[in-house]
Amino acid sequence: MMTAPQARPAVPPVVSPATAPEPAPLLDVRGLTISYGNARGTLRAASDVSFAIRPGEVMGLVGESGSGKSTVAMAILDLLGGGGRVDSGEILFDGVDLRRLSPSERRALRGDRIAAVFQDPFTSLNPALTVGHQIAEPLIQHKGLSPRQAAARVQDLLAEVGIRDPRRVAAAYPHELSGGMQQRALIATALGCEPKLLILDEPTTALDVTVEARIIDLLAKLCDSHRLSALFVSHNLGIVNRICQTVTVLYGGVVVETGATGRVLSRPAHPYAKGLVAALPRITAERRHRLPSIPGTVAKLSGAPAACVFAPRCPFAEETCRSQPQAMLTDGGGDGVRCWKADALAGTPWPDEDAGKARGPKAAQPRSAPLVEVDHLRKIYGASRSILPWLRRAGTVAVEDVSFTVGRGEVVGVVGESGSGKSTIGRALLALTEPSAGTVTFDGADLTEQVRRGDQTLRRRAQLVFQNSAASLNPRKTVGAAMDRPLVLAGRADAEERRKTVASLLTRVGLPAAYADRYPHELSGGERQRVNIARALATDPDFVVCDEAVSALDVSVQANILNLLAELRDEMGLSYLFITHDIAVVSHIADRVLVVYGGTICEEGPIGRVLRPPYHPYTEALLSAVPRLAEDGQEAPRILLEDAAPAPGGRGCVFAGRCPRKLGTVCDEQAPPVHETADGHRIVCHIPLATLAERAAVFPELADGDTRH
Amino acid sequence: MFAYTLTRLVYLALVLAVMSVLIFLVTQAMPGDVASMIAGQFASKEVVDAIAVKLGLDQPLIVQYGHWAAGILRGDLGRSLVLEQPIGPILMEALARSLVLAVVALFVVAVVGIGLGVLAAVRRGKLTDQLVSGVSYLGIAVPDFFWAIVLVLVFGSYMKLLPTGGYAPIADGFLPWASHLVLPVITLVLMLLARIARLTRSSMIDVLQTNYVKFARAKGMPESVVILRHALKNALLPTITVLAIDFGLILGGVVVIETIFSYPGMGRLLLFAIQRHDLPLIQATILIVSAAYCLANLTADLLYAFVNPKIRHGMRAS
Ligand code: SF4
Ligand code: SF4
Repeated sequence: MMTAPQARPAVPPVVSPATAPEPAPLLDVRGLTISYGNARGTLRAASDVSFAIRPGEVMGLVGESGSGKSTVAMAILDLLGGGGRVDSGEILFDGVDLRRLSPSERRALRGDRIAAVFQDPFTSLNPALTVGHQIAEPLIQHKGLSPRQAAARVQDLLAEVGIRDPRRVAAAYPHELSGGMQQRALIATALGCEPKLLILDEPTTALDVTVEARIIDLLAKLCDSHRLSALFVSHNLGIVNRICQTVTVLYGGVVVETGATGRVLSRPAHPYAKGLVAALPRITAERRHRLPSIPGTVAKLSGAPAACVFAPRCPFAEETCRSQPQAMLTDGGGDGVRCWKADALAGTPWPDEDAGKARGPKAAQPRSAPLVEVDHLRKIYGASRSILPWLRRAGTVAVEDVSFTVGRGEVVGVVGESGSGKSTIGRALLALTEPSAGTVTFDGADLTEQVRRGDQTLRRRAQLVFQNSAASLNPRKTVGAAMDRPLVLAGRADAEERRKTVASLLTRVGLPAAYADRYPHELSGGERQRVNIARALATDPDFVVCDEAVSALDVSVQANILNLLAELRDEMGLSYLFITHDIAVVSHIADRVLVVYGGTICEEGPIGRVLRPPYHPYTEALLSAVPRLAEDGQEAPRILLEDAAPAPGGRGCVFAGRCPRKLGTVCDEQAPPVHETADGHRIVCHIPLATLAERAAVFPELADGDTRH
Repeated sequence: MFAYTLTRLVYLALVLAVMSVLIFLVTQAMPGDVASMIAGQFASKEVVDAIAVKLGLDQPLIVQYGHWAAGILRGDLGRSLVLEQPIGPILMEALARSLVLAVVALFVVAVVGIGLGVLAAVRRGKLTDQLVSGVSYLGIAVPDFFWAIVLVLVFGSYMKLLPTGGYAPIADGFLPWASHLVLPVITLVLMLLARIARLTRSSMIDVLQTNYVKFARAKGMPESVVILRHALKNALLPTITVLAIDFGLILGGVVVIETIFSYPGMGRLLLFAIQRHDLPLIQATILIVSAAYCLANLTADLLYAFVNPKIRHGMRAS
C-alpha cells in the first residue's frame, strides 16, 4: 500500500502570556504528594508535584523508571491501587478538585471526560470480549446509548483512528489484531465519549518503531482536530518532542524542570534534564566517543526530601545542594527549574567524561577467516507431521535463507521489528535452537554438529546477554553464586581461584567486588545487566550475542551499558552480534549492520553506508521513524508504513505488503535481486541501485564525513 | 473447532480401546475361578468344566476378548453371572443415579465455590477472605468420610430430620427422592468446595491485576461490571477444567460416600461386582466408568476452548 510521506503535523503555537490572557488550565495539579505504604514502611512516590495543562495542550511528563510519572497519571485517574495513597494536594479538573468528589462521581468522569490509553495494547484489551464490545462499553455506560446505537458509533470511531475495515475489527477478538491495531482500538475507546483530557501512559513503548511513528502521528492529529488536552507520560524524549507542547521533568517524585518542549529539550536548565538529553543515543555514523551517561540510580525517599533529590548523581553538586531541599524557581514565561545553580550553569553542558579521549577508529581487522559464518540458515517453527491429515502443519518460517559472517573483533548489528526473526538468528548462533536448514560455523567448526556430539567448548566460547536482566538471574542466588556456576561448568576446580575470578569480573564491568554477596533484588536494572555481562564473560568467550541487551533500561543507564560493551570489545577483542529494534543504539556500537525483515536480510553493510542513501525502502522507513530532538536538525518528512504484519515464506519480496515504493506485481512474484557494491554494502530490492541512490538522506547531517570501515 | 473435536474423539476411541484390553487382562488375572464360583463350593470337576465351556472360558484369551469387544460394539455388555440378568439395564440405572448425584453436587459446588472465591478475591486480605481461606483449609484437611459420619449422626440419628441412606426413585414423589440426596450431596460439596473456591480466588486475584481490568476501570465501568464481565469470565477458565474432572470423579463412583449412605450408584455397583467376583459386571462397570471419565475430560477441554476465544479461533484456523 502506498503511503505518501507526511509532513510533521503542525504544532499549535504555545499561547504566550504577553499576547493573550492566560486561559484557565483544564487540569491543574497542585502540591500532589503520593506515598505507597506496606508493612515495611512507606515510600514517597511523588512529592509536591504541581503542573497545569491548558485546553488543547499536550504536556509531556518525562522521567526514568521510578521517577513517579506513572503514579501521578494513575492518581489523576483515581486508579492508584496497591497501597498507593494521595497524602495531600489538589487535582483540579475544569476547576473542580477531583479529590473532593465521591468515588462514584470520580468514576463517572473516568472514560467520559477523562479518558486513558495505557502502555501495553497487548494486555489492555480483554481477551474474552470482542473489540467492538469493549469500545462500546463506555458509550453505553456514560452516554446512555443503546447497544445498537453504540455499535454504529464504534464503526465511526474505528474508521476515525484509521482502521480500514471497522466491521471486521469490531467483531474480532483482541488476539486476532496486530499490536498497532490494538492500540488504535484502545485510542478509539478513549475517544468514544469525546473526553476533554487524555491520559496517555507510554502509549507506544511496546510497539515497533514504524508502528509507533504512525500511532504518534494519529494521536497528534486527533488532539489537534478535537482540541484535546493530554498528559503524555513517556521516557522517550524523541517522542515527547514530536507531540508535546510543554514538558515536565520528574526525578525521584519531584518536578525538577518544566517549560516549553523546544526550550527544555534544546536548552535544558536542570542538570538532570541536561543529562537525559545528553545520554539519548542519536544516530551517528562514527563511533566518536563514549555516550554521556548519568552514573548512579534513583534514590528512594520515605518522606519529604531534605536535600536536592538529584544531588547524589549530580556532577555540579555542592554542599548547599546536600543540606537543603530545592525550591522551584519560575520565570514569567511558565518555565521552572528546581536548582539554585541553574542560571550559573546555563551555558554548561552535561560533562562528557572523556570527550577528548575519542576512541580512535579501530584498526582495520585483517580480513582473516571470520569467527562466525552463517550459511543459508533457515528456521521453521511449529511444523508437525501427523497421521491425522487435519493436524499436519507446514509451520511458520522465522528465518528464511540468511547468510552472513561476523569477523574477529567485529560488532555486527541486527536491526528489525518484532517478528523479523532477529532473535531466532541469535539463538541459532548459540546453538540454542537447531536450524531447520543451513549451517552455522564457529571458528571453522560446524556448531550444530559439535553440539550434537555433546562438545561444550563452543558453548563456552559463545555467550548470551539478553533483555530481561531480572528474569535471567535466579532471585534466590547471590550474584557470586550465579557467576560461580559457569566457572564450575568450565572445569575450574579451585574455589579460591574462582572467587578471585568473580571479583575481577565484577570489577571488570564496573561493580564493586563486594557485590558478589548481594542478591539480584538488591541491584538496580543497570547493575543487574552488568552482572549478566560479567557472567557472560566468565568463560572467557570470543563471541557474545546481545539480544536487546539495553532495550529495557532507562536512557541514562542504557548509555552506561553501551559504553561498557564498547570498552570490553576494544580491550578484549570480543565479537558481538548486537540484536536490537533501535537503529540509533546500533549506530553507536556496530561496525556492520544487517537490517532484517520477515526472516530475511534486506540490507547489509558497514554502518556508515546503511545510514546513507542508497537505502532499501524498509531501511529508509525505519530510519525516518527514529524520533529526534529539535537541535539535531530539521526532521525529514516521515515515511509511515501500514501496520500490517509481514508474511514470510512467500515467493516475492517479503516487504511487498508494506513497501511504500513497491513496483508492482514483480515484487509479489519474483524474489528481488541483490545489489552489491565493493565495500560490502548489499541491498535486496527490485528497484535499481541508481534509483535508490536518488533519495534524499534521512540524516542530512551525516551526508558527508568519512565512512567507517 | 470441528477438526479439534474430531481429533479428540479419535483419541478418545483409541484410549478406550486400549483401556478395554487392559481391563480385560487385569480382570482375567484376578484370583479365583469364575466357573467354580458359579458352580459352588461342592460342585464336581465336570460341572465346573461344563460351565467353563458354556461361558467360553476354555477358549484362548484373545478369542474371549474378541467376543467381549464385539458384544460391546453391538451395544451388548453381557450378562451378570451373579444377578443372572443382562448388564446393560443394571449399569444404566446405577449410572443414572450417579449422574443425579454428580449434577446436583457439582451445581452447588460451582455456584457456592465460585461465589466464595470471587468474594475472597475482591476482599483480598480482609476478614471475608480470611474466613473463606480458613474454611477452605478445613475442607481440604479433613477426610471426606469424617463429614459423612458427622452428617449422618447429626441429621439422621440425632435430629432424625433426613434419611441416613438409601435411595428413593423420583416416582415415589419429589420429597422422598430429594431427601435421600441431601446428605450425600452435602458431603460431596464439602469435599470439593474448598478446591474450587481456592482456585477461583487465586485466578481471580491474578486477573484483577491485569491491564485489561485496569483499563476497564479507566473506562469508568462500575465495579460490578469490572468483576463479573471483565474479570470473572477470564478467571473461570482453570475452574472449569477442575469442575469437569470432579464431575468425572463423581460419575465414576465415590465409593466411600456411596457406601456410607448406601447410595446405589456406580461405586456401589462396582464394589458389589468385585466382592462377588462377577467378571462381566466388573469389566463392563470399569469400562463405562473410564468412558464417563474420558468424556468428562473431553467436555472440559471443549468447554475451555469454547469460553476462550484464543483457542477457539486457533482451532478454526488450523
Ligand atoms: S541543586 Fe545542586 S545537586 Fe541539585 S541539581 Fe542543582 S546543582 Fe545539582
Ligand atoms: S522489491 Fe519491491 S516491494 Fe520489495 S522492497 Fe523493493 S520495491 Fe519494495
